[in-house]
Amino acid sequence: MSKVVIVKTKNIYNSHHDINAEKLLNLYQRGFYLLTGFKDSKNSIPTLFNTKTKIGIKINTIGGKKISTRPQVSLSLALYLSEGGFQEKNIIIWDRTNRELNNADYKLNMSQRGVKVFGTDSNPIGYTQDLTIHRSIGSRFSIIQSDVISQSISLPILKDHGLAGITAGMKNYFGAIHNPNKYHDFNCNPFVADLFDTPIIRKKHKLTVIDALTVQFHKGPAFHSPWAEDYGALIMSTDPVAADYIGWQTIETLRKEHGLPSLKQENREPKYIKTAEKLSLGRADLTHINIIKEEIT
Amino acid sequence: MKRRNFLKFSAAVGLTPKKRLIPLASDLCALSNDSNLSKVEARYYKKLPDREIECRLCPRFCKLGDKERGYCGVRENMGGTYYTLVYGKACTVQVDPIEKKPLFHFLPKTAALSLATAGCNVNCKFCQNWEISQVRPEQITHIDFPPKEVVKAAEENNSPSIAYTYSEPTIFFEYMYDTSLEARKKGIKNVVITGAHINSEPFHDLLKVVDGVKIDLKAFNQDFYTKYVRGELQPALDAIIAAAQSQVWLEIVYLVIPTLNDKVSEIRRMCRWLKKEIGSDVPLHFSRFYPSYLLKNLPPTPVSTLEKLRNSALEEGLNYVYIGNIPTHEGEHTYCPNCGKIIIKRMGYLIEKINIEKGRCAFCGHEIPGFWS
Repeated sequence: MSKVVIVKTKNIYNSHHDINAEKLLNLYQRGFYLLTGFKDSKNSIPTLFNTKTKIGIKINTIGGKKISTRPQVSLSLALYLSEGGFQEKNIIIWDRTNRELNNADYKLNMSQRGVKVFGTDSNPIGYTQDLTIHRSIGSRFSIIQSDVISQSISLPILKDHGLAGITAGMKNYFGAIHNPNKYHDFNCNPFVADLFDTPIIRKKHKLTVIDALTVQFHKGPAFHSPWAEDYGALIMSTDPVAADYIGWQTIETLRKEHGLPSLKQENREPKYIKTAEKLSLGRADLTHINIIKEEIT
Repeated sequence: MKRRNFLKFSAAVGLTPKKRLIPLASDLCALSNDSNLSKVEARYYKKLPDREIECRLCPRFCKLGDKERGYCGVRENMGGTYYTLVYGKACTVQVDPIEKKPLFHFLPKTAALSLATAGCNVNCKFCQNWEISQVRPEQITHIDFPPKEVVKAAEENNSPSIAYTYSEPTIFFEYMYDTSLEARKKGIKNVVITGAHINSEPFHDLLKVVDGVKIDLKAFNQDFYTKYVRGELQPALDAIIAAAQSQVWLEIVYLVIPTLNDKVSEIRRMCRWLKKEIGSDVPLHFSRFYPSYLLKNLPPTPVSTLEKLRNSALEEGLNYVYIGNIPTHEGEHTYCPNCGKIIIKRMGYLIEKINIEKGRCAFCGHEIPGFWS
């Protein structure tokens, strides 16, 4: 049975749409507790990770300032990890390019002090010289994913996606390869699942945290305010397929509430989630997912 | 001949490119600054509501939201306007023999200033240039090489033609088109080396500004295109007919991949189609495959296979059928279909002898189709 934790709070944003840091930290504390059974980071984090190694937090910043994984969300997670035993310098928040990180309000840091933040295009990072060929995938990987880190967290923002159906934890790793544009046919199926199944990702991925503080439930992946909901939740799971499945259901719920057709009706159901289940990467079936949902005041 | 020996041989007889201005092989670790990409509005697209666009350059018709790129990786929707990121951004520039394209009936024994940008709108599993075609422009080094500079470089390198080649020129359409216009002002010819995965309107526009087209026909069935090209056959067939009906010189290359597209029956069917649709005089090159990119599990094409296919094409009535990627093979030469004598003798990219005078066989006077001067 896979476990998916949804921790949700009201008024996560103030009137200027800034995140309430205290509420966010409460979401993480409660989320990790519900996931691991331990209330404090010193106990919960070591149950999920080897804190002596380097860990990557793969974020999604293609959407710019308005609809990317927010700096507060990733930095709060990094803080929680460091409290749980990781050295700050061994935590790397990363995405494809420094330009995208800058556009999403990230302050780059490649120094030996503090949490690192940089893109694959930082000199001298780049992509692997050799292609990794696995099922339908033939790609070069970000050296951050292939060589620098040994454990990985996928921390995407939850969005509708015109081609893939939704973009969440597994598709976030499209940002770890040099040629994601080649994998958007057929609703990204089986490409998202096949990419996740590569050892470079599957063996390192430990946790999915979906930033659902704001959800773009229609017309994604770009930001469109009429269809962006301040949902106020984090979705957490060690099962990458179950996390995405619940993310998908969240988007379907919001679409229904706003009178929109389902993704299936729009012929863009995220079939790659079921494909991932068939590859035994996790569960995409509510009978095998234990959903723990909690509202935090 | 083994590939290693072939390369050694090629270097010994001077078959390597005459002049290389930027290395062909790119280094993905040497990343470009992505702020150095071009931002020139693309042609052939439609604006849609909610800042979306539909690209109409190629048969994919990519429908893209804001900040998304097309399948090619070099055209991006920025706030509802579609831009090419590679205008004037050449990642490979070198001076090649025109025979390397290959174009055998187009200004033989001349040089072609050859250039490419990053990107491609298909994903052939057998791509020989995947290190530039299957990457995004910010992932490889490139130079600023605007159209006027390209033409100037062609003049300085004694190249009577400019070749748009190596990756897939369709995806740098605007750059190619504008450079072609500039070249024409100086009397320099333009040739396009393409898989022709392009829509009819842009291709017809292109034909108005170029002089030669070499089309890679990758197979003669859609199943192969679906599995190994990730594209469609019909646009290539349409382009062949359109080019043949234009004033542009056309040659066709068919890369023969063992077990995948080497059936004699299919080749005969293709040749009958070519003969019916565009006549017997289109040069057809059967090229040898070498393992590359995602198809490393297959051996190089046996010479006997290439010979068998060439013979089949000749039997079907095509007049100019060549074997490529095998230097010194007799299938490299051009034979007069009337008297049977060698009228262009080749050794790799070298021309040993041309027996064509004023577009006719020097032995019997038979007219030889081509772009000879």
